[in-house]
Amino acid sequence: MPIDFIAIMPEIVLTVTALLVLAADLALRGDAKQLVNPLATFGTLIAIGFTVFLWGDERTTFGTMFVVDAYAVVFKLVFLVALLAILGISWRFFAEGRYFQGEYYFLLLTSFIGMVLMPSARDLLLLFVALETVSIPAFVMAGLRKRDLYSSEAALKFFIIGVLSVALMLFGMSMVYGFTGTTDLVGIAEAIRAGDADVPLLLGSVMLVIVGFGFKVSAVPFHFWAPDTYAGSPMPVAAMLAVASKAAGFAGLIAIAFVAFEPLAEVWAPVLGVIAILTMTLGNLIALQQRDLIRLLAYSSVAQAGYMLVPFGLARSGSDAIAVNDAAVQAVLFYLAAYAVMNIGAFGVAIAVNRRTGLRSIADYAGLSARSPLLALALTVFLLSLGGAPPTVGLWAKFAILEAITVDVTAFGVVLGSFVVINSVIAFFYYLKVVKTLWMDEAREGLPTLQPGFNLSAVVVVLMVGTVVLGVLPGLITDFTSITSVLATG
Amino acid sequence: MSFFEQYGTFAILVVLGCLLYALIMVVSRVMRPSVPSPQKLTTYECGVPAEGTGWTQVNIRYYVFAFLFVIFDVEAIFLFPWAVIVGGLDATTPVSPMFAVVAMFLFIGTLLEGLAYAWKKGVLRWD
Repeated sequence: MPIDFIAIMPEIVLTVTALLVLAADLALRGDAKQLVNPLATFGTLIAIGFTVFLWGDERTTFGTMFVVDAYAVVFKLVFLVALLAILGISWRFFAEGRYFQGEYYFLLLTSFIGMVLMPSARDLLLLFVALETVSIPAFVMAGLRKRDLYSSEAALKFFIIGVLSVALMLFGMSMVYGFTGTTDLVGIAEAIRAGDADVPLLLGSVMLVIVGFGFKVSAVPFHFWAPDTYAGSPMPVAAMLAVASKAAGFAGLIAIAFVAFEPLAEVWAPVLGVIAILTMTLGNLIALQQRDLIRLLAYSSVAQAGYMLVPFGLARSGSDAIAVNDAAVQAVLFYLAAYAVMNIGAFGVAIAVNRRTGLRSIADYAGLSARSPLLALALTVFLLSLGGAPPTVGLWAKFAILEAITVDVTAFGVVLGSFVVINSVIAFFYYLKVVKTLWMDEAREGLPTLQPGFNLSAVVVVLMVGTVVLGVLPGLITDFTSITSVLATG
Repeated sequence: MSFFEQYGTFAILVVLGCLLYALIMVVSRVMRPSVPSPQKLTTYECGVPAEGTGWTQVNIRYYVFAFLFVIFDVEAIFLFPWAVIVGGLDATTPVSPMFAVVAMFLFIGTLLEGLAYAWKKGVLRWD
């Protein structure tokens, strides 16, 4: 059984880049250590090239464990472009902060290897390995500022919650294996459909696996680690956790829910739907109270996870539900891509403002429009997009979710849709409050001038333009997401 | 039905185990002389009088060494089955000998880079 090396080329390129980055960090001294960032960027570009090359292919390797199809390629591109943006916003932050640069970029690349593995994994074991490859470097990255107590707290909380969630998930996975006799996702679905695993405890193990992923995507009531971890970690790491790590959790949840447990959709869909309602409502209500921009973004990202969970609530089983399920997966995928663009951008602006001063309370953003009109404009665009205002990509992301509800209207779907709409209104209040602070309040005296640096400015501008352009032409992403189907392999 | 019979065997085992334990404890309690003294309440430390408290700090460097040891222990676990079958590979087997050798050296190379990293960062020095 030969290995299809073309199919795993993006992963190989990232692995080689990670090892080269670590070696370069050992060989270089002083300021030359900054070179690891361009090296990592270069490797990421090559990986993107290979991923684009895989577009349109259907490849399967390592038995049926590893699948490359349109769905996986789109997901991988989202991750790799997010990696590119995070590398851009990390450069000055780590070069100036005298942090462990080589280690940071090595861990970042390693974490992303796990992420690009995730959408291709069609086996419980590979899913688990991918998830751990995402999480374990992230634990260390959260604690990189090791002399900062908040950073240590962030790392410890993240570690303990991460280990707990993985333990629950593994316990669930082991029982699923026990009942169905296979770890292959498609095989699990077949075994359940054939009634081989007709025991009540199977539902318990499904719930355990879903709870495990609930921690990863910080869904209420498993969200409490997220704000502390985001606020304490170095900011580029917080951006990575809020966007990429969460997207990886969703990739795993999609594979588990829509491929393996598809025959049980009637059981888990209402559960995830209720979790979605709780997540968006609680996330938004707590975000209203925040005075720290990073914590506000953290609770807003909890709420965003709620929106992304809504399509899961629509899922149904059976062959007549393929249209609904496909629309649900495509809505999640599109929302994730849009969310990555706008949220990394918002974190980028926060880094630009806070890097020198360490100020992060929303009051410190007063009068940003006078200090740096570009950054203020960018943050405004990102926040409006997170809220879902036209003409930004955030509008279409919410639209995609509501559209998925209309594919086959049910009472529960209408309830979910109305909660999305109500929560969008709540969210606008706190997003617009920050926008008002940016443009209408007076800046305090004596604040240092902002020097975001070329890379950070470039990333923020590209993401800002992207947010607007995709808002006008959402087809640039939906043309690709709309033909993906995770079910086609099942 | 055989399912419950297996649990029946298990239940008998549990009951017998408890009974045996209780019996031994009771016999011991009845037969042994009882001569309490404060000396008998001290911590047993190989016959030497115990010093300090139970809470002691262990040098953090042991942790690093243990960590490195585990990494190379795992390497040995992977090397062993590889070494057993690599001699039997030829052109007819699904995996060619060259492929097997290159794959293993890539694995060892990755671990060696980790060792080089640890060396350069000075974790291997004791002082």
